[in-house]
Amino acid sequence: MAKQTPSEQLDKLVERLLGRRDAPLPRSEAARPFDTRLVPVLEVINDLRDLPRPDFKVRLKADLERRASMASTAKAVSEFRTTATPYLSIKGAAAAIEFYKKAFGATEAFRLMQPDGRVGHAEIDIGGAKIMLADEFPEIGFRSPESLGGSPIVIHLDVEDVDAVARRAVAAGATVVRPVADQFYGDRSGQFRDPFGYTWVLSTRKEELSPEEMQRRNDEASRQQSSGSSQEKESPVAAKFIREGFHSITPYLIIPEASRWIDFVKHAFGAEERFRVKRPGAENIIMHAEVKIGDSMIELADANAQFPPTPAAMVLHVDDPDAVFDRAVAAGATPFQPVADQDYGARGGSVRDISGNSWHISKPTPGNTIFEGFRSVTPYLNPLRVEPVIEFLQKAFGGEEVYRAQSPDGVIHHAQVRIGDSIIGMGDAHGPYQPMPCTLHLYVPDADSIYNQALRAGATSIQPVADQPYGDRSGGVVDPFGNRWFIATHIRDVQF
Amino acid sequence: MKVRKNEANERLLVEAARRDPARFADLYEEHFERVYAFVACRVQDRPAAEDVTSDVFHQALANLKNYEWRGVPFAAWLYRIAANAIADRWQRLARESGNPSQDDPPDEHKGVNPEQIERRAQLFRLVRTLPSEQRRVIELRFAEGKSIREIASELKRTAGAIKQLQFRGIQTLRAQLGKGTRKKLGGSNG
Repeated sequence: MAKQTPSEQLDKLVERLLGRRDAPLPRSEAARPFDTRLVPVLEVINDLRDLPRPDFKVRLKADLERRASMASTAKAVSEFRTTATPYLSIKGAAAAIEFYKKAFGATEAFRLMQPDGRVGHAEIDIGGAKIMLADEFPEIGFRSPESLGGSPIVIHLDVEDVDAVARRAVAAGATVVRPVADQFYGDRSGQFRDPFGYTWVLSTRKEELSPEEMQRRNDEASRQQSSGSSQEKESPVAAKFIREGFHSITPYLIIPEASRWIDFVKHAFGAEERFRVKRPGAENIIMHAEVKIGDSMIELADANAQFPPTPAAMVLHVDDPDAVFDRAVAAGATPFQPVADQDYGARGGSVRDISGNSWHISKPTPGNTIFEGFRSVTPYLNPLRVEPVIEFLQKAFGGEEVYRAQSPDGVIHHAQVRIGDSIIGMGDAHGPYQPMPCTLHLYVPDADSIYNQALRAGATSIQPVADQPYGDRSGGVVDPFGNRWFIATHIRDVQF
Repeated sequence: MKVRKNEANERLLVEAARRDPARFADLYEEHFERVYAFVACRVQDRPAAEDVTSDVFHQALANLKNYEWRGVPFAAWLYRIAANAIADRWQRLARESGNPSQDDPPDEHKGVNPEQIERRAQLFRLVRTLPSEQRRVIELRFAEGKSIREIASELKRTAGAIKQLQFRGIQTLRAQLGKGTRKKLGGSNG
């Protein structure tokens, strides 16, 4: 065999290794046919088989640099344009988008729909502010104010003309929480709840104030409030829209024989007469009276041609229902449900009083939540169907359903709606508990807007909103179920 | 052989790249050869090695913020990405072809140990330090897979001259590699 040069021998080895990529390092095998001086380079050759192509390394580096420069840009954007965006979980996101368009002039950027028809994600723009929202997905814990029973988050929306936007929002269905007013911190603002449970502060900056000046004004306002001087009553402070001693809802009994009725409640329920206006020249006709039972006020007047009788049904909470029931009967009431331990966990019975009002006299068992939030006197409705009434109260007055006992056949045995600080109870009409449309006096922060809202919800006007000589600004409506509502905002205290 | 720079220096490179992705190029230069070496001995062919290596560095760039400094070498993090990429690739091929034998199964510990990877990475770097003709021949022969005749034609030299350049190149590499490292192969030549 002809003697090969070392370079030829080595190339044979290279050739052989390159041809067999999966060949194991042929150390012992190679050592025989080749010059043993080649052995040290075997490993080098073996390793060189994986030598990367030089242009691959260059190309990949260029790719990465392009990507990195994009990443640098993206990083810069994310570092310097950080924003916090509210993300609203809403029951009825599509309707909410429409509401935000109408109320706040929102524009919809886009929405993503789920196969089940729910809005999976949407983005809207309100005056340059982005807001994200989606339908609630309770199955993943993404729940709306409606299913949570409210939202503690308030969204502050700066607008150019707060009064105009507030009118627009209320017209679109928002509820006034706090009417628009000049604030000590330099804003003119008001607070509104949208129909989906979110609270918005609509605000227009009026004055640029230093934090020190804001603090000074805040301290001053606090001092005035705590001094509680009676001259302050004129100021439209939020909580003052309810007349002293009253709550959001007060039954207003328009009844025959009002004067005799006052005597009845004094005897039967220990009521305290607080106020009485008689018709001039007719001493036995009461134009307006107020009695207090426990912690609750009741207003009343004699029925007349303009205001026919509207007695009410009420729940009366007492410590000893048996004794009070007996006293009521002794004072002239007609029993129609004797006192007994009721299946809903309270002891009580019912009477009809001398003017036609019905009273469920009851003592709830401690720990039973069925009458939670009830005062001494709580109005109770027995409409043919409770459901539409709840809907009306929600739409008209921002009422909130807080309790419902419903049987599988759809009958609502008991439900409670909270309006402001008061509860109104109701149950589908049954047995002796038949519809009994009544008159209720409702204090709200802004009578004008709630009056309009009630009309939009289906009520009919019986008296437009106007300033009343007794210190309220109020108007009247009758709801689709025949109940009359006097919607009032207390403006000033009047000495009679 | 101390291919990797000291830890503090590496950490500086990582931090710099985290702050400014453009600085990732330094990490790439530092680690390209060892990642390629790690990948190449685990996949079937050169296109696969290039695919996976490319994938590894793109992932590393994208996820640099997830790299936590716990004294673990940056290379170990890259190997982890590479091992996953190879496993993914293997599964994908198996799914697509129903024939999982295209690449080796994803066994991280298969065959190659870290020392071996470092040696190969150093070898790949050394190739670039060869005299240009030797380097060209080595690259064409091994990286491009060309025959002696093709290279001779491309470089307008005789086949014998090319073989001679190849011989000298490999001898140089062996000599450079051997510097300051174990003389395992040389020692076996007894």
